[in-house]
Amino acid sequence: MEREMIAYQCIQCGELHHPLHYVCRKCGGRDFEEVPLRGEAKLLTWTKVYNLPEGYMKPSLGFGIVEFENGLRVAGQLDVPQPKFGMKLISTVDVVREGVGQDYYGFIFKSQEA
Amino acid sequence: MREVGIVGVGHPRFGKYEGSLMSMLCEAAVEALDDAGIKTGEGHGVDQVLVSTMGGSQVNRQTGVASALVDTLNLRPAMAETVENGPASGASAVKLGYMAIASGMCDVVLVVGGERMRVLSGWEATDFVATMSHPEAEYAYGLTLPSFAGMFTRLIMEKYGVTERDLAMVSVKNHENAMFNPSAHIQLAPKLEAITEDEDALTINPYVAEPLHVYDVCPVSDGAAAVVLCALDVKERFARKPVKIAGIGQATDTHVVAEREVPTDLFAVRHAAQRAYDMAGLQPQDIDVAELHDAFTILEIVESEEVGFFPRGEGHLAVRRGETQIGGRIPINTSGGLKAKGHPLGATGVSQIIELVKQLRGEADGRQVKDAKAGLAVNFGGFGNNVVATILTREEE
Repeated sequence: MEREMIAYQCIQCGELHHPLHYVCRKCGGRDFEEVPLRGEAKLLTWTKVYNLPEGYMKPSLGFGIVEFENGLRVAGQLDVPQPKFGMKLISTVDVVREGVGQDYYGFIFKSQEA
Repeated sequence: MREVGIVGVGHPRFGKYEGSLMSMLCEAAVEALDDAGIKTGEGHGVDQVLVSTMGGSQVNRQTGVASALVDTLNLRPAMAETVENGPASGASAVKLGYMAIASGMCDVVLVVGGERMRVLSGWEATDFVATMSHPEAEYAYGLTLPSFAGMFTRLIMEKYGVTERDLAMVSVKNHENAMFNPSAHIQLAPKLEAITEDEDALTINPYVAEPLHVYDVCPVSDGAAAVVLCALDVKERFARKPVKIAGIGQATDTHVVAEREVPTDLFAVRHAAQRAYDMAGLQPQDIDVAELHDAFTILEIVESEEVGFFPRGEGHLAVRRGETQIGGRIPINTSGGLKAKGHPLGATGVSQIIELVKQLRGEADGRQVKDAKAGLAVNFGGFGNNVVATILTREEE
C-alpha cells in the first residue's frame, strides 16, 4: 500500500494543519477533515546534520522545512545534493526512522530533476 | 504581593560528575544553604524545596527526586516538588519558588537544578533532548535541536547577513569569559582564526548541523546549581544581603517549529522578556549584564535582539563592535554561557541566575561588570517554545 501523509483542515474556517491539533490555531474550531498532503513544495531552509540521534547508521542526513502550494509548512528529510532557497521539490513518503517492529514513515523531499 | 530575593547561591563546577544525581544536587544545595547562613538540622526554616531536572527520570531512572532530596538533606517536613520544563526547567523552578513566597505560602524556598547526562553517549544525549520535539512531525524524522538550530541559522544568515565568523566570535567571547569562572565546564579559549580561517579550521571545528560548527554548540555537561529564595520581609534571618527578583516573564510558542508564523523570530523570547520588564518597571537600556541561552551561538545573537538590546538584524554587528564583551555596552554571558560553562539542562536556568547574583553582589572575580545594578537571564526551552526571563536587581541600602 502506498503511504500518504495527511493534513487536517478545520471544518469551520478551512485552516490547514499538520500535524493534528485538537483546536484550530486560527478560529478555535475542534472538527477537522483529513485531506491528502502531497505534491510540489518550495524549500524554505535546510541543514545537513552530522551528529544523528541513536538509531541512524549514516554519517549525515539532510533536513529541510518546506512550504506546500496550499501554504502549509512542514519539516522533513531532504535528499537533495545542492539545496537552494526557494527551489521546487517533490514530496515523497518513505521510511524516515527504523523502529523495533515498526518503521516510521514521513516526508522525504527530493529535487524534481532526480 | 511580597517581594522576593535571593540570599544564597551554590554552584559546584560543571563538567563530568562521578557520583550520583542525588549527591550532585546535595553538594549544590549545601553550598547555597551555607552561603545564606542557614544551618542544617532542626530550625532550618526551609518551607519548600523545588528540584528542576529534565532527565532525572529518563536518563538516571529516578523519579520523585525532590522528595528524596528533602530527606537526604534532612529538610523534612518541607514541601517538595520536582519541576520539568525542558531546558527551561531551572528558571521555571525559580519562578515557582517566587510564586510560593509572593503568595504568602512560604518564607524560604530552596531551588536546586541538576542534570547528570554524561552517563549517555553523544548520540543518546542528542536523542534524549530531542524527545521534547513533536513525536510524529519532528522526532520521528531524526530531527534534533541542532537540526532546528542549523535551519534557523541559515534563515538568519540569509535575512540579516550574519556570517559563520560572527557566530565564532560569540563562541570565542564566551570561552574567554569562562576562563574567569571557576564553575565553568570548559576553561580553554580557542583563537578566532584557529576555528574559522586557518588551514585545519574545519578539522578542529567541523560542521555539526550546517552552517553550525562544533564551536557553535554547547557541550554535554553534568552539573547542579542551587539558590535560596526568601521573602524580603524576613531577610534579617540570613547571612547575605538579598538580590531582588524584580521581574519574571514566561511565554510559549508553537510546539512544531515549522508552524511559526515568522520563522526568523523568537516570539516567546520577546514576550517573556517584555513581561519581565513590565513587572520590574524596567526597560532594556536599564539592564547592565545578561545571561542569554546560547545553546547555539546564533541564539545569543537573536535573543539579544528579541530582548531589546539591539534592533532586529543588528545583534551580530554589536558582536563585531565588541559591545557584548565585558567592558562593552551590554556584556552578555559573562559566566561563559552555555557554550563554555556547560548546559546541564535542569541546572542551566538556576546557573544563569547565580551568575547575575554574583555580578550584582560584585563577586564575579575577573569577569565583574562594573557597578552592575540590574541583570536579565533568558532560559530557553524546546526550540524556543517555552521561555522564561528573569530580572534581578541590586537592593539599595
